[in-house]
Amino acid sequence: MTETPARSFVDDRPGVFRVRRGAFVEPALFERELERIFGRCWNYLCHESQLRERGRYVRGTIGRFPVFAIRGLDGEIRCFHDSCPHRGSMLTRGRSGVQPTITCRYHGWAFNADGKCIRVRNRDTGYDREALARLGTDLKPVARLAAYRGFVFACLDPEVEDLETFLGGARPFIDLMADQSEQGMEVLKGESTYVMRANWKLQTENSTDGYHVATVHRNFAHAVRQRETLTRETGDARARTEASRILDLESIRSGGYDAGNGHMINWSDRGSPESAPLNEAREALVARFGPGKARWMIDRGRTVTIFPNFFLNDVASTCIRLWRPVAVDLTEIDTWCLAPVGESAEARRARIRKYEDFFLPSSLAVPDDVRAMEVAHAGSLAAGGAGWNDLALGRATMIEGADDAARELGAAPLHSNPGRESETPFYAFWREWRRRMDGP
Amino acid sequence: MSFDAALTAEAADLLYREAGHLDRREWEAWLALYAEDAVFWAPAIVGDEGFSEDPDNDVSLIYLDRAGLEARIFRIEGGDSFASTPLPHTAHLVSNVRAVGAGGPEIEVSATWLVNSFRRTDPPILRAGRYAYTLRRSASGLTIARKTVHVLDDRIVGPIDIFNI
Ligand code: FES
Ligand SMILES: [Fe+2]
Repeated sequence: MTETPARSFVDDRPGVFRVRRGAFVEPALFERELERIFGRCWNYLCHESQLRERGRYVRGTIGRFPVFAIRGLDGEIRCFHDSCPHRGSMLTRGRSGVQPTITCRYHGWAFNADGKCIRVRNRDTGYDREALARLGTDLKPVARLAAYRGFVFACLDPEVEDLETFLGGARPFIDLMADQSEQGMEVLKGESTYVMRANWKLQTENSTDGYHVATVHRNFAHAVRQRETLTRETGDARARTEASRILDLESIRSGGYDAGNGHMINWSDRGSPESAPLNEAREALVARFGPGKARWMIDRGRTVTIFPNFFLNDVASTCIRLWRPVAVDLTEIDTWCLAPVGESAEARRARIRKYEDFFLPSSLAVPDDVRAMEVAHAGSLAAGGAGWNDLALGRATMIEGADDAARELGAAPLHSNPGRESETPFYAFWREWRRRMDGP
Repeated sequence: MSFDAALTAEAADLLYREAGHLDRREWEAWLALYAEDAVFWAPAIVGDEGFSEDPDNDVSLIYLDRAGLEARIFRIEGGDSFASTPLPHTAHLVSNVRAVGAGGPEIEVSATWLVNSFRRTDPPILRAGRYAYTLRRSASGLTIARKTVHVLDDRIVGPIDIFNI
């Protein structure tokens, strides 16, 4: 059977940009995505703060392949296939932990945290030298591993471009998170994994979709506003979750960018910057980075969606989210709170409460997003996925290159749109998706 | 402090009433069981074995004061939350209740729970965990000063809210 090319799902012509809904629901595309996107692309694994001590590891997946990242005895972070060289058993004992010596529980081979085999049972009595050389007893590293500003990525393709090149135009926006403390950033304890019965690309779109915020998150905004009328005024503005960026979009500036290579940015000014946990660092950040970048860090919330399945969200609080393709209609989502090391106890508490309000499957927002995406997936099945998503919203206001706000940051998006309620940033994702699926 | 059968029966009655209010969606009656300064806390999973321990430094699934609980009712009742409409039907089973009191106004209660949730559009959801309550004796009877809910599910299917844990 000849495959249907991805370009037949993306109708990209002057003045028109449409995506056929089959792109979300066709099983054959899903299998091809695992190979051509997840198999060749940089995949986010973890943040360096999760691998502080030697021998500490975290599990990950690349597409559907099990891998783990581990800090070696020499202090280096590496990524290995989570598969014993002997006969393939998974080696990690949990989703994270410390295993300076990794012993396979099947037949007892052992490896150090650098990946060197340190024990083969019956090495001398049962194996001849050529056999051991042939089968290769050390752990198999994933082809490439690299970190950018503390964010660790791996890639199965040895020929892949450098991570910095891949992140490209998204880097200044990642820096806005990474630079929040001179002492670095840390992932807080208390992770969550939740399930969405929908295609992974719906999460990629939703992560940068500003159009749903006023509808799907209206309940979030109203609920926190109602709560705040009941709460005694403590004088600490950080305890408040500003709802104005959801309810009064006309009064604030916002926008979206195509950051190149499939990466997308969505931003909006905070209605009340004093409610931002980072506000306490204003003076230091202005001194270090100047007023333009400090404004982006403190006064402007933003989502940075990295192709294909990872985002940094610094709007209500600071969130790392990774969504893993399990099946064409099933996605597992991991979420962590990322915080500046050394922030005050009050800022930390406010950051955590705001994170819990929005980013968890037990929050006032994420369950509504999940539901919206599940219903979008179910509806996309109509007429066998023959319908088209015409991404025309905001087309008239799109401009080529950078707008003023991007220039203030020194960022160079391919195109910009003033106003977060536009779909033009999605073009970045779908063009990259089509390019990778069909090849050059 | 030791196991106290009479106290356990009294505490269990409160826990069962709470579960009944949630299953029958009697939100105001449910909230009335909580003290003005009550705390509702569901820690998050840490790694494979642990739970978050310090709500000021670790992420929790839910950490709410009474105003926060009222906002949850507002969310559930408002009809505007995509995830909460229609609301699933739930059945709470509360068991293994044990209460210990030191003769003072506060009573510590532990229990195990199981909640089944049903909504026609979704597969049924089974969740389970442990409760730890601090109950306070006042003129009007026992009220809930603190409720800690350990949710055992570390791959969360469907939304979690105050009514389904
Ligand atoms: S599979 Fe690991 S030792 Fe045999
Ligand atoms: Fe959302």
